[in-house]
Amino acid sequence: MKNVVTTVLAVSAAALLSAAPASAQGKTLTISWWGFNGEKLESIVLAPFREQCGCEIVFETGNNGERLNKIQIRNGGGVDVAYFSDSFSQQGIEAGLFQKIDPAKLPNLAGIYELARDPQGGYGPAYTIGRVGIVYDSTKVTTPITSWNDLWREDLAASLSLPGITTTAGPMVVMKAGEHAGVDAFADPDAAFAAVEALKPNVVKNYNTGSEMINLFSTGEVSAAIAQDFTLGQIQAAVPTVVWAELAEGSIATLNTVNIPTGAAEPELAYEFINFILSPEIQQQLAEQGVDAPVNTSVTLTPEQAALWTYGADLIAGLQRIDYVQMNAAKSGWVDRWNEIFGM
Amino acid sequence: MMTRKIHPLLIAGTVLVFMFLVGPLIIVLGAALSDTTYLTFPPQGLSLRWFENIFEIDAFRRTIFTSLQIALLSTSIALLIGIPAAYALNRYRIQLPGWLSTLFVLPVLVPELVLGFSLLKNVAVQYNSPIYISLLFGHSLLVLPYVIRVISASLAAFDFSIEEAAISLGSPPLKTFFTILLPNVRSGVIAAFILAFITSINDVSISIFLTGPGLSTLPIQLLAHMEQFFDPTVASVSVLLMILTVAVMAIVERTLGLTFLAK
Amino acid sequence: MKRFAGWTLASPATLLIVVFLVLPVLATIVTTFTTPGGPFATYAAFFGSGFRRTVLWRTVQVSLATTAVSLVIGFLTAYVVSRSPGWLKSILIIAAVFPLLTGVVVRSFAWLIILGKNGILNSTLLKLGLISEPLTMLYTQGAVVVAMVYLFVPLMILTLVGVLEGIPDDLIQASASLGAKPAATFMQVTLPLAVPGLIVGAVLVFTGSFTSYATPQLLGGEQVMMMGTLMYQQAMVTFDWVAASTIAAVMVVITIAIVLLMTRVARRLNPMAV
Repeated sequence: MKNVVTTVLAVSAAALLSAAPASAQGKTLTISWWGFNGEKLESIVLAPFREQCGCEIVFETGNNGERLNKIQIRNGGGVDVAYFSDSFSQQGIEAGLFQKIDPAKLPNLAGIYELARDPQGGYGPAYTIGRVGIVYDSTKVTTPITSWNDLWREDLAASLSLPGITTTAGPMVVMKAGEHAGVDAFADPDAAFAAVEALKPNVVKNYNTGSEMINLFSTGEVSAAIAQDFTLGQIQAAVPTVVWAELAEGSIATLNTVNIPTGAAEPELAYEFINFILSPEIQQQLAEQGVDAPVNTSVTLTPEQAALWTYGADLIAGLQRIDYVQMNAAKSGWVDRWNEIFGM
Repeated sequence: MMTRKIHPLLIAGTVLVFMFLVGPLIIVLGAALSDTTYLTFPPQGLSLRWFENIFEIDAFRRTIFTSLQIALLSTSIALLIGIPAAYALNRYRIQLPGWLSTLFVLPVLVPELVLGFSLLKNVAVQYNSPIYISLLFGHSLLVLPYVIRVISASLAAFDFSIEEAAISLGSPPLKTFFTILLPNVRSGVIAAFILAFITSINDVSISIFLTGPGLSTLPIQLLAHMEQFFDPTVASVSVLLMILTVAVMAIVERTLGLTFLAK
Repeated sequence: MKRFAGWTLASPATLLIVVFLVLPVLATIVTTFTTPGGPFATYAAFFGSGFRRTVLWRTVQVSLATTAVSLVIGFLTAYVVSRSPGWLKSILIIAAVFPLLTGVVVRSFAWLIILGKNGILNSTLLKLGLISEPLTMLYTQGAVVVAMVYLFVPLMILTLVGVLEGIPDDLIQASASLGAKPAATFMQVTLPLAVPGLIVGAVLVFTGSFTSYATPQLLGGEQVMMMGTLMYQQAMVTFDWVAASTIAAVMVVITIAIVLLMTRVARRLNPMAV
């Protein structure tokens, strides 16, 4: 037994020694992002940027909620560039965690779509654009879905998955329910939630992560869902007959933004990085490699490359926008009412 | 130990329980070997590419190391301070206050998310200390109750008069501890080690807050991966962890030089 | 002197818990008493909501069910395992540990394959003609309990094998040589001596299921929302740490109360137990 103790101690000591982080030379840029697509981002974005700035880059990874929480606990410190989907970056802005952006320091802003330049009143630009819409299995749902109102159809009984109220797209369900009832969900939440309640018989389970939703499709639990467009390719890999619904009212636009937190240690480096990722060359490569849909207007894609993306001025012009200021204000009350419908 | 007859019904029940425990693992293994880009069972085409994927993605490689490090260190810390505490709880039960054993379960009582949040806010940020320290102590805390409780349970049946006899015969206390006490609670210590190691290496809830710029663990990185990709990597990581556990157990057995768990 | 020795040995663990758990968590809980609405406003709000009371009650039910089932299955299995020959015992213990190593996502996927509408269980029952239409098994309280039992039985087995092995063989042989039937020996010798281990197991399983988050989230969804899920929502999505800490405080107080109750009942059954 003594041997074991000695071994454990020796291993522990060795591990402690090697745990000391390598000290970075020169400047270090800290990025908070989701942490997926690491290999592609490394070769397209990080390696060339490192060369340009002569700096080190480290990451904080996690989903929107986790990372925003951490920045808030650190009072806006710890990271220099923060990637968030727009509903969360709006929350960060309201909590005073992000700096106002000086557009003069981002020359590449001129080359991107108007709606991506300054989506949130003086704060960070969007670097990619996506859609929230409806996907359905065309073999099981025989009458095509062509409107948000179709979600309430009787033939969809017990075959639908909605995004949970806590996800980016969740509150949008309430807004669509309001429209279905003919009211503004912010002005008349009672009517909107009555419509959500009416939707309940169609719902099998609400999902909180994309992987949950894809599992629900691939195991045949559901045949339709409200989803973000970046999941479509993966659903189709599992169930090839799933299609994106062309909705008469249009899908909803979602933007992913980049911001500089108030406590950023290297704001100048952060500006340089943001400008870098908005450049036509980088945007072109990211789109071609299937990482992010472009916001730079000069990016040109073949129809195959563009197939799954929110791409092209016409398509983007047809998207619906969300007022996140209003939505975030209503959100905590909505969470409770939503819970009472689905969780009782 | 002598093997006595066990009622056949009991054996049948045990077989059923193990079928219940192992059944889902077959699905996990099948999914890990599937040649598809999504989780599926039965597997369609056999491939090891999702295992290769773990080692090819740089972020996974780095975090496997961090996770192993944290799991080993925190388990060691918990054993080093937990074994004496469990001993004290049993040996000096009358002399120590009753609330002490409740204090030692607190880490399981307090929701991990709140513990992680509190450690980040009120320790790491407040005192500007490195996040690695909080992560390490957070994990040590998390596994401590398992160590103390499991070892306490095996000490409960230990007859302390044997130990007293050894000491009164002139054996030094530390030697008595290693020669008399530890061998008697060996399976408890090993059970505690296994539970603690596994709890730490799989933890998500505490680690969500106690990872930061440049520091992440495998489960956290895996969750990040799963936000965007729904491929069988998760399944192959589970299988890999199982292989790793068998390896760790084999090493424990070698180091101890005896058939562990079998007295 | 003995008191001093006891404290010396227990102090490192006590210190770690006080410094890295009690103090930081108290600092968080204090914020729930300093809201503008008065010291107990957040608690009044919590218990004033029918939905939150439902969630709390459901959490208690699910955790108690999980604990009871795990206790029975775990104890009987551990009994057989502890009486198996050495090589088999090692294999069984390793097999019992494996379920703990499956990540949450892949584990819930496995349950989807088993319990789903087109799952293995439903298609088997359909083939056997026992049912005419697939049963809804997922997203029910039952599914959550099954999945949690799966997760906690290994814990119970590991805890109890150590305890059962600690029971001296002579006692059992003595009982047998005095003419006691195996069943009587089991009930009158083995079971009472295992009570400390059963309490430990019950406490770990109960607290573990009471605070669990991922399993109810994935297998129960919003329909089977539990305290852990509710707290996660408040903390990670609405960033309302005061509400989340309130839920945490309620969880801690209720688990401590139930743990104390369980210990007391067990002590009644066996005065020698911890």
